[in-house]
Amino acid sequence: MDPEGFEAATVPHMNALYDAAMRLAGNHATAQDLTQETYLRALRSFGTFQPGSNARAWLLRIQYNLFCTQYRRGRRMPLMLLDEGEADPSLDLPSHEPGPEEQAVRELDREAVRRAVARLPEDFRMAVTLVDINGLSCAEAADVMGVPRGTILSRLHRARRRLEAILLPELGRVQADDL
Amino acid sequence: MTCEGLQARLTAFSLGELGPDELQEARAHIAVCDDCASRVLLDRQLTALLRVSAVPAPEETRAAVLTAVRAEAGRRTHAPAGGPGRRRHWIALAAALLAAAAVVAAALLVVPAPSPASPLAAAWSSYHHLGRNGLGTPSEAEADRLFAVLGRASRTPDLAGFGLRKDGWAARNLAGHLAAVAEYRDAEGGRVTLMRWRGVLPPMPNGSDGDELAAYHWGRHTSYWWRADGVVWCLVGTIDQDRLYRIAEHLGGESKADGLG
Repeated sequence: MDPEGFEAATVPHMNALYDAAMRLAGNHATAQDLTQETYLRALRSFGTFQPGSNARAWLLRIQYNLFCTQYRRGRRMPLMLLDEGEADPSLDLPSHEPGPEEQAVRELDREAVRRAVARLPEDFRMAVTLVDINGLSCAEAADVMGVPRGTILSRLHRARRRLEAILLPELGRVQADDL
Repeated sequence: MTCEGLQARLTAFSLGELGPDELQEARAHIAVCDDCASRVLLDRQLTALLRVSAVPAPEETRAAVLTAVRAEAGRRTHAPAGGPGRRRHWIALAAALLAAAAVVAAALLVVPAPSPASPLAAAWSSYHHLGRNGLGTPSEAEADRLFAVLGRASRTPDLAGFGLRKDGWAARNLAGHLAAVAEYRDAEGGRVTLMRWRGVLPPMPNGSDGDELAAYHWGRHTSYWWRADGVVWCLVGTIDQDRLYRIAEHLGGESKADGLG
């Protein structure tokens, strides 16, 4: 057991874990709970973690399994990302320095994007969350979700085309004004 | 490559998932087709938009996760005696839990002499002076949140069959755990408090560490603990131990059946 090694390897990924938990669970309380339980499970199985491999993918796999086996059980999770009337001011703070493309769209309504993603079927939503939002490769996302890489690619493709249709006004603004 | 072919491979192209031959064909097509070049741009804009929609972990979440991780790491490092980090976590939890249980305590409890070996008892003694606040009922938002975290375990069970009537319930923060707390009274003024939160059972002084029903005594007050479907249940009261045990057994059986259902 090396608690410092564990924290060094895993804490930098907490934003990604919480973001994915929010998109899976649909509310802050469950997302926090899911994130915490994921870290505790990861700590217990840290001995099996291969140093040098992708810790974010490893954590997301633990979280996704936990969600599927413990949290989803028989209960319909809310689809909307935020509870009505529950505005969290911290949601407006990006966790990293935005690049030029991201600066170009920073003025756009992030909430519209979150809601569009939240409306996707869970399998599509998870593929988008893992690859497009949290930067996993298709192979890593396939490992997390336990499906072939081609399935991830196909889910991403269909999800992106749907999102394009929903978010076309926002994308149009990016194109016209900023790029 | 045709426009249809490019559109079908657009996501794979953007993600660098095409093989070398297809990649070359796609690039050659985009170089001469404005429509497809626009589609590639649109796809890039979409992924930029998705990236900035990421929700960072609030400070509250970071603090809760780190506290839990350090407590667990401390416990594991110092196993089997239970490490200081773990013990601190459970002192904090027990203190918060007993603040909720102080609703039961107020006038009726004789506070036990704390055993130095028992953080639970020590926490108990530090909270015995708290007055009775009354529980009332939670707001609709609190009730929804409790349900989201605890599922059916958030419901206040009916204990009329044991001669107990409901005397309020509430959402409480027990050392970072969102807990559902319910209070009951019987005709003689005896009180029972039931607390549930998602987590793991504390290490019991008698060494039991499974999901089975465990008993712990605070002076003349007995508490029963068990875990079902990831939820810790703690039942504590001033009524006689046999009756409390029967209630714990009843609730324990029901909660585990819920977990399977």
